[in-house]
Amino acid sequence: MAEGMVRLENISKKFANTYAVKELNLDIKTGEFLTLLGPSGCGKTSTLRVIAGFEKPTSGNIWIDGKKVDKIEPYNREVNTVFQSYSLFPHMTVADNVAFGLKMKKVSKQDIKNKVKEALNLVQLENFAARKPKNLSGGQQQRIAIARAIVNNPKVLLLDEPLGALDLKLRKQMQLELKQLQQELGMTFIYVTHDQEEALTMSDRIVIMNQGKIEQTGLPDEIYEKPATKFVADFIGETNLFEGKVMQTNDTYATMECAGQYIIIPNNQNFLENESVYMSIRPEKIKVSAHANDKVKQLKVIMKDEIYIGSVTKIIAAFPDGQEVVAHGSRDIFKRCSQGSQLYLSWEPADSIVFKMKEKLEV
Amino acid sequence: MIRNIRTAYLMLSPSLVWLLVFLVVPVGMITVISFTTNLGFGGILYEFSMEAYRLAFSSLYAKAIWQSLWWSVIATVICGIIAYPFAYFIAHAGKWKNFLLLLVMVPFWTNLLIRLYSWIILMNNQGVINNLLLKIGIIDEPITMLYTPFAIIVGLVYGFLPFMILPIYASIEQLDKTYLEAAEDLGANPVKTFLTVTLPLTFPGVLTGTIITFVPAISVFVVTDLLTGGRLLMIGNVIRDAFLVEMNWQLGSAISLLLMILVLLSIVVLIKFTSSDDDSSLL
Repeated sequence: MAEGMVRLENISKKFANTYAVKELNLDIKTGEFLTLLGPSGCGKTSTLRVIAGFEKPTSGNIWIDGKKVDKIEPYNREVNTVFQSYSLFPHMTVADNVAFGLKMKKVSKQDIKNKVKEALNLVQLENFAARKPKNLSGGQQQRIAIARAIVNNPKVLLLDEPLGALDLKLRKQMQLELKQLQQELGMTFIYVTHDQEEALTMSDRIVIMNQGKIEQTGLPDEIYEKPATKFVADFIGETNLFEGKVMQTNDTYATMECAGQYIIIPNNQNFLENESVYMSIRPEKIKVSAHANDKVKQLKVIMKDEIYIGSVTKIIAAFPDGQEVVAHGSRDIFKRCSQGSQLYLSWEPADSIVFKMKEKLEV
Repeated sequence: MIRNIRTAYLMLSPSLVWLLVFLVVPVGMITVISFTTNLGFGGILYEFSMEAYRLAFSSLYAKAIWQSLWWSVIATVICGIIAYPFAYFIAHAGKWKNFLLLLVMVPFWTNLLIRLYSWIILMNNQGVINNLLLKIGIIDEPITMLYTPFAIIVGLVYGFLPFMILPIYASIEQLDKTYLEAAEDLGANPVKTFLTVTLPLTFPGVLTGTIITFVPAISVFVVTDLLTGGRLLMIGNVIRDAFLVEMNWQLGSAISLLLMILVLLSIVVLIKFTSSDDDSSLL
């Protein structure tokens, strides 16, 4: 049977005529911080709700800690959820909210008192026990929602975009606190978000979902450095995607034609001549120069705009056919350039990632 | 949006004038009249007198007031017991929701008077219910239902049930379903979820329903008129008779005023006893 904490086997969830989740397989290890990341409608929340038991999968099986839970109601599953809207009970005090799960389990009064105190301590809100949720700030409500879930010592904590409603600064702070909390408790966290930065900051492992399916599962740096599909390359971070045809190949490199220019790509997937491919290159991997250099392969582009974003300056340039390309550079390189001037782009072929076009047919 | 206080008053003035003419002035008038001296046949002598109040608290009228209170409380409680499950069912009826709501509203399109006549046909000694029970053999002789407090309770419950259903329905409908999921997530089975989350959170609807059912129920007079042929009295009957039959305006005014105070007191008591510290939305 299943090793690890949660196992999803061939899970599909159909709403009306569309699949929210399709044939999803996933193993989640004990004590892992796993993030389901994807655009809205990708099926990440549905997957979480299937684990919590709020949705019954159309097909497939779920195990939690080695126990098959397909037919077990949410109130009998040893998981707890932190909801996007917090869903703190407005008619109960903070302490009653946190105590709710323990009361349902018929824990003794003294134990409840101690555990609630402990949980509130953990989220640094021990002085707020007697307040009503509506008298707390968004960040405080968030912490109470977390305390209310973890006080039950669940086998898995499910978090559905819990930081979505907070402002940027508080969100960053809560990200670190949550990560710290997870490590302290050694609890398995399954975290749903559409915010890639959040996912990269907090997760041990990231699952990228799109249209109900897993696009890639990997460590944060793997996801960023070695996207497995065009979708992942496009979704995570900023990237330039070029579409073109493979012209020549040898053992290590291939040449790709794109908008009348030639780009050298690594030949690591046995490309065939005339095969259609996508090539992805991150803006920070592109070297921008105002002068031609015969020693390296360069692409000629026309400068369109520069955007100062603090740490770097983004330069937006265009190919003769109009396709835009974004590169990063320090400001002084561009001082001599202006809109309409000729620029030369180059990069290490190994920094580019190529996807065969056939994936387009599947989608 | 309102730029200054003058605009605010201007916009409020139609409703203020309305309240002044149709509420403040009449209440002022009956208050004054209740303390004047009765000249008989509706005559008013503007000389201070407590006679109307002495009469109002005499056994005959006090009994009517007490009965009104008692019967309308019972009717309101029964309305609540029937309305909550019903409203809960409608709120969870999916695509049938609007149709079922329509059914709740349909009786409003016919006058209460006419609908009460049909209850006479149903509850008569030779009526539909008695005939049916006789035929089945459950009873040997007709049960007297008309002319009894039972008939009044039936009439009140029937007449005011929609007032209870609609606000309860609204509060169940508006209840954020994630609260229920949160309760379930924390280990509460459906029964416990209902008792600990749904019921307390929809209580404002029950409270509103209770008030808008109780207030008209305690002052209605057509129900007693039709279903007991005027043999049993509620405050509404007493007030009408004082004004129109006995032509004792002082007495009618005094009992009207007492009724108003009784209703207001009931509402205050109800809200004070049911609202938790800072969550009262009504007071």
